[in-house]
Amino acid sequence: MSTMTDTNPTDVPQSILKSPKHWRNRIAGHHWRSGDEEFDAAKLGMWLFLTTEVLLFAGIFCGYAVFRMMYPEAWANGSHYLDWRFGAANTAVLLLSSWTAANAVRCAQLDKQFWLRVNIIVTIACAALFIFIKLKFEYMVKLGQGKAPGTFFSYPHAHDAHEPLWWSLYYIGTGIHALHVVIGAALFGVVLYYAKRYQAYGPTQYTLVENAALYWHLVDLVWIFLFPLLYLIH
Amino acid sequence: MDYTEHTKAENVAQLGWDPEDPHGINPHHGEHHHFIADWRMQVGVLAILLFFTFLTVAFFRVEVWAEVAFGIHLPGWVNIAGAMSIATIKGILVAAFFMQLKYDKVLNTFVLLFCLLCVGLFLGFSMIDLGSRHLVNPMAAGEISTGGTGVGLNSAPADEDFSVRMSPKVNTQGMGIIYEARLTGTDNKDHHYWGLEKFRNDPNHSEAEFWEIHYGDHATHRDPMDEHDYFTQLGFGHHAEESDANKSRGRTGMTPGIFSDVAVDDHGAHDSHDDGH
Repeated sequence: MSTMTDTNPTDVPQSILKSPKHWRNRIAGHHWRSGDEEFDAAKLGMWLFLTTEVLLFAGIFCGYAVFRMMYPEAWANGSHYLDWRFGAANTAVLLLSSWTAANAVRCAQLDKQFWLRVNIIVTIACAALFIFIKLKFEYMVKLGQGKAPGTFFSYPHAHDAHEPLWWSLYYIGTGIHALHVVIGAALFGVVLYYAKRYQAYGPTQYTLVENAALYWHLVDLVWIFLFPLLYLIH
Repeated sequence: MDYTEHTKAENVAQLGWDPEDPHGINPHHGEHHHFIADWRMQVGVLAILLFFTFLTVAFFRVEVWAEVAFGIHLPGWVNIAGAMSIATIKGILVAAFFMQLKYDKVLNTFVLLFCLLCVGLFLGFSMIDLGSRHLVNPMAAGEISTGGTGVGLNSAPADEDFSVRMSPKVNTQGMGIIYEARLTGTDNKDHHYWGLEKFRNDPNHSEAEFWEIHYGDHATHRDPMDEHDYFTQLGFGHHAEESDANKSRGRTGMTPGIFSDVAVDDHGAHDSHDDGH
């Protein structure tokens, strides 16, 4: 499905032409029959890892469902305390970054080294913007009002005794998700370094770009469900 | 997809061997291609995802507006079903097109689906458990415990019209939290006793009703909290059977007579034992 704009592979500078880290010079491990098998195995391994991540977040979603069933009043109040505009803005930011992550894979597949780097940089910038919005407009403001988790809760106008539990779940859920955003951005940082320094990813060798992007899409996927659960359902 | 072919030929010419097939084991390697997504499709998927984000927010806003402006209160499941359906569609789009499951090996899709099946079991059984406890014991219905703070809805209100309640922070009056919990009974996890207090204080119910249900489930012994012996009054006494060789009765509490004084004739027992030899 390549198009006219796709066919502009990058020239390799002489300084890295012979580097073993350049994608043309990288070979599959000797225990693999081919690079394809190595790629497929790495990708399957990544998917298996992603299932454990899904199960990690499933614990939070299950806690949400159980507590929502037990304390519906506190959960309705809880979602009213959150501003949907910040949640929606962060959703848009993550969707955009997911798109650039997918494009990064595509650029690696087509040996468009410049656009590979641009897409990774935009992805990392989106991660930083997500964390900024989360900290500046949500965490800091709410903690300042006393809407803190569990026994740290000191918000004087609570209407339900179980609102501290809501905030516990909110901070755990969004906090672990934010941690994943940071880890994903760091992973893309590693990809960016090797892409810039060695042009390490190209049509025959882009496993790390693909797996970093898969990780990033999962982070996006989790937020797609966290956003309506926390901000919209009341 | 002639690009890969070109690259492979170029690689082989430049290096003298094929980096995709360094051992020359798979000569038909060129027949397999990784899927390269069309950029127009990727833009389209992003646009649809952003549209669905707008849609789910609009759905939420319209619902709030209908309630505020016209007093139309949609039932809770409409809210949940709407938001979750849209989230599921978005999730499928991300998994199929951005994560490329649609073009990938089917194995990866099955890995994800099996994981989601496990999540479904995990969520489903938790919900079935929580949603059907009242069928086993009516007292377990509704709000189950006072939650993680140790103070429930009956904590003192902060104003006269009861609209604002005190922050339910734990105040142990300077005592250790475990001591305080024992003193106030908040560490009593037994929902039967919690229900007992409720039935005793409720003018529409009697304590007898509580014990009727309680002994219906646990009819083997009189409960120590049953101060007025509803166990006998309600006719559950005949259930108190002992285990024998043909049937065993579930028992909680102490074995009768375990601490009663029994004169043990050590000397006599010793003698009779010796007689056996």
